[in-house]
Amino acid sequence: MRTRLFGLLMAFAILVMPFAAFAQDDVAMGADMAEACPAPANLPESITIGAVLTLSGGASVYGTTQQQGINLAISQINESGYLGEGTTLSIIFEDSASENEQAISAMTKLVEEDGVTMVLGPTLSREAFAADPVAQENGTVVMGVSNTAAGITDMGEFVFRNSLPEAAVIPGVVAQATANLGLTKVGLIYANDDDFTVSGYNFFRQSFIDNGVEIIGEETYATGDVDFRTQLTNLIAAEPDVIAMSALATEGVQIILQARELGFEGALMGGNGFNSPAVLEQTGEASNGLLVGAAWNIASTNPLSTAFMAAYEAAYSARPDQFAAQAYTGTWMFATALRCADSVDRTAVRDALAGLAEFATPLGSFSFDENRNPVHDPVVQVAQDGAFSVLGAE
Amino acid sequence: MNVTQQLVNAIWLGSVYSLFALGYALVFSVLGVLNLAHSAVFMWGAFIGLISVIQFGLPVWMALPVAMVGAGVIAVLLERVAFAPLRARGAPRISQLISSIGASIFLVSLAQLVFGTQPQRFPFGSIPTDAIEGLPFRVTPIQIIILVIAVVLMALLNLMVQRTRLGQRMRAVAFNQRTAGLLGINVGGIYLSTFFLAGALAGAAGVLYGLAFNSMTPFIGDAIALKGLTVIVLGGLGNIQGALVGGFVVAGLEVFSIAAGGSNYRDAIVFTLLFLILLVRPQGLLGRKEITRA
Amino acid sequence: MDILRSIGITEPVIQFMLVNAILGLSIYLTLYTGMFSLANAGFMAVGAFTGVILTQEAGLPLGIGVLGGMALAGLVAIPIGLPVLRLHDIYLAIATIGFGEVVRILILNFDPLMSSITGQTVALTGGALGIKGIPKIAETWHLLLFLGIAAYCIARLHRSRFGRAMAAVRQDERVAANMGVNVVYVKNVVFILSAILAGGAGALSGHLTRIISPDGYGFDQAVQILAFAVLGGTGSIAGPIVGGIVLTGLPEVLRFASQYRGVINGLVLLLMIVYVPGGLVNPVGWARLWRRLRGPTPDA
Repeated sequence: MRTRLFGLLMAFAILVMPFAAFAQDDVAMGADMAEACPAPANLPESITIGAVLTLSGGASVYGTTQQQGINLAISQINESGYLGEGTTLSIIFEDSASENEQAISAMTKLVEEDGVTMVLGPTLSREAFAADPVAQENGTVVMGVSNTAAGITDMGEFVFRNSLPEAAVIPGVVAQATANLGLTKVGLIYANDDDFTVSGYNFFRQSFIDNGVEIIGEETYATGDVDFRTQLTNLIAAEPDVIAMSALATEGVQIILQARELGFEGALMGGNGFNSPAVLEQTGEASNGLLVGAAWNIASTNPLSTAFMAAYEAAYSARPDQFAAQAYTGTWMFATALRCADSVDRTAVRDALAGLAEFATPLGSFSFDENRNPVHDPVVQVAQDGAFSVLGAE
Repeated sequence: MNVTQQLVNAIWLGSVYSLFALGYALVFSVLGVLNLAHSAVFMWGAFIGLISVIQFGLPVWMALPVAMVGAGVIAVLLERVAFAPLRARGAPRISQLISSIGASIFLVSLAQLVFGTQPQRFPFGSIPTDAIEGLPFRVTPIQIIILVIAVVLMALLNLMVQRTRLGQRMRAVAFNQRTAGLLGINVGGIYLSTFFLAGALAGAAGVLYGLAFNSMTPFIGDAIALKGLTVIVLGGLGNIQGALVGGFVVAGLEVFSIAAGGSNYRDAIVFTLLFLILLVRPQGLLGRKEITRA
Repeated sequence: MDILRSIGITEPVIQFMLVNAILGLSIYLTLYTGMFSLANAGFMAVGAFTGVILTQEAGLPLGIGVLGGMALAGLVAIPIGLPVLRLHDIYLAIATIGFGEVVRILILNFDPLMSSITGQTVALTGGALGIKGIPKIAETWHLLLFLGIAAYCIARLHRSRFGRAMAAVRQDERVAANMGVNVVYVKNVVFILSAILAGGAGALSGHLTRIISPDGYGFDQAVQILAFAVLGGTGSIAGPIVGGIVLTGLPEVLRFASQYRGVINGLVLLLMIVYVPGGLVNPVGWARLWRRLRGPTPDA
């Protein structure tokens, strides 16, 4: 019954989509920049960009949704003639197989052999540290759409990212949650063999200390573990009001389920990795009270964000996550840089990208700071009955 | 430290490890080769069980037999494609190890094409996950069901190997392939049966794992592959009771090293102990001497 | 060169091929002596971290870093080899995998561990984050030179008295001992030589990838190194070199297959090992395959 209802809703959504898109023409992606920059006249017939994504291997769950977000943006950009009459944007995807070495060879192929104008990715921060210098030395723009580690853009002036670093997300979440929920005792759990989770843990720890919350225990696990009952039993014994998890989604789902199963009724807190409808679908009621700090709010009423979500669902029959939203936005940012530069000259494109300011995107109004990092506010979301809402906004 | 709860955690985790390791141990005991594609068969078992429930609408209890048969068939195909040609040519066993790696890459990549990379689960409400009331520790009905199924399957396997004609032939082939052939045993058939059984056990472990952790991706086999290897070596290679004991020992070591506050060093503690046990008792905890194979 | 580049074999790929050829040689040494050791990923990690710390923290030149990595890997091999080489076959394999995992976890926890021992803040290995921002100072010719010297030394070794002792140990340890070969000595020396080579490969590769972290040296890497040697063939020095090159190049050449890349990669590996079981550098195996493909000869 549920599936049939869902099918009907989907059919309805697909039927209504074109009209909805038509009606919202004034809030279409890129509309603001179309005014700021005139239609380009000097772009070649075809422009190729590249993307290095984790399309296979352990991190492929992220790379594949990024690929969908990028493909959606490319088709919208071409259909709307955003790059001017007769110019089409195309993309070459290269798989890094979640390995640093393959990320380097993929990046080398894209910038040296295929001669792409710009590159999106790589998916993982460690891959970015390995491969971005290849693009930097070649003078080709590379933009991370999911790199959150500190120091990414220090690699050079051609290295950008549109993903908020953990340093910008986690302190905000902890401060807001502490104020809103009156937290006093926290238990921490994280994977100690993964760069993303360890740096997230460092920020969590510091932020809780700064906010005067007592850390009653710290537990670690190894990436790929499936049973966290032992660590959780240790933490729950000290009766924390919140368990903060610096985890990737796969392990995060298990931690949420098992914490509830062991009788933990307090709040749960996670970083960027939890900002995915899949996490809520996988955990059901167990994720009630899950606090997630993120760069993109799934429940946002920002018209560009809702339009993106509708278009994504129509195209892929699945709800997008933050990885898809950031990849989609990144592709539009590249197109906008090309449009505003009206050139495929690598340096002109770089300068146009760096100059993007107050660009209306699904992530909100977007600008780069002087170090090519994103400037926009993170949101704190709380999960209830399978949906996120903004904390404190009732 | 809540010792009872940690003990429950250890027993439960141990049953999953043991069940996974049994198939490994069975193939090793009969053929003397390590089948590194075992974890890929395990993953396929989990997905076959899942698909039979969410696509074909079978009841959840049916997922287990369906997955066992499906995974058994995959294991038989694996035997025909990756092992039999090499054995027929008398290639060194290490070649069979590498061909099983190729098979594993193939099976995982194929699963990614077919099932995608997003985690999938059995529908909510299909599995009882509310803790049982009135006990001094928390345990869910599904955990108990899984433990019982695991123990029953292990007992059945043991009976089969020790008491039936098939088991007798398997042991004969394990002892000496050529002699067994001369005694009129269909050696090729025994290999197929062994792989089918090992695959079925992997499939059962996959479904139970799927039910227990309820989040399946094509990569669920990766993490458990090395654990399974540790378990069978610790227990005594090719020894079925050993695999059983080994699973609980490894799980116990893990749980209590974390419980004692050493979660950073958990795997180091497990492997150091394994290392020491190997030095003192190279044949493993329950193994017999004089098994030298690669 | 242009043809190579157009099929995806760019300079970084060639560099990784050479590193993997060296790793193939390192495990070839132990396999040739009849030891099924999977410790090489662990020795590679020791070499990589030592080499990078020497060049980055101590500011020493690359050559010293590589020598340091080789030396420490060799030193670590001594206390490991003495007890562990009494084991055989799969037991040895598992014990050495255990060693690799312990090395990985120690590197992961090195900083807090050393900090608590010395009482000062130690920040050398960077835990899970690893060491990043390593300049890419290893050049293709460094790798070629290293590989050439290693291959030359092993070829010389084969023709020496020690080399014949290695072969004898592989054939049968007891017979070798009866012939007067000091089996324990031969096995330990070979294990140390193998560790030194893996350490050198690690130190060189650490200066290619710009970032090193402990997760790159786990079980998968250990098995991958084994695959280089077995796929290439352990009958001659050329085998593991070819195996390392082919297995590194294969996924790159297969990039055109996009989402089918993994499936084809696995299938090709499977078919190569099934149809040429002695390895790629194995004239006998190829001749046999050729006869099979040609069908039965009429005058048989």
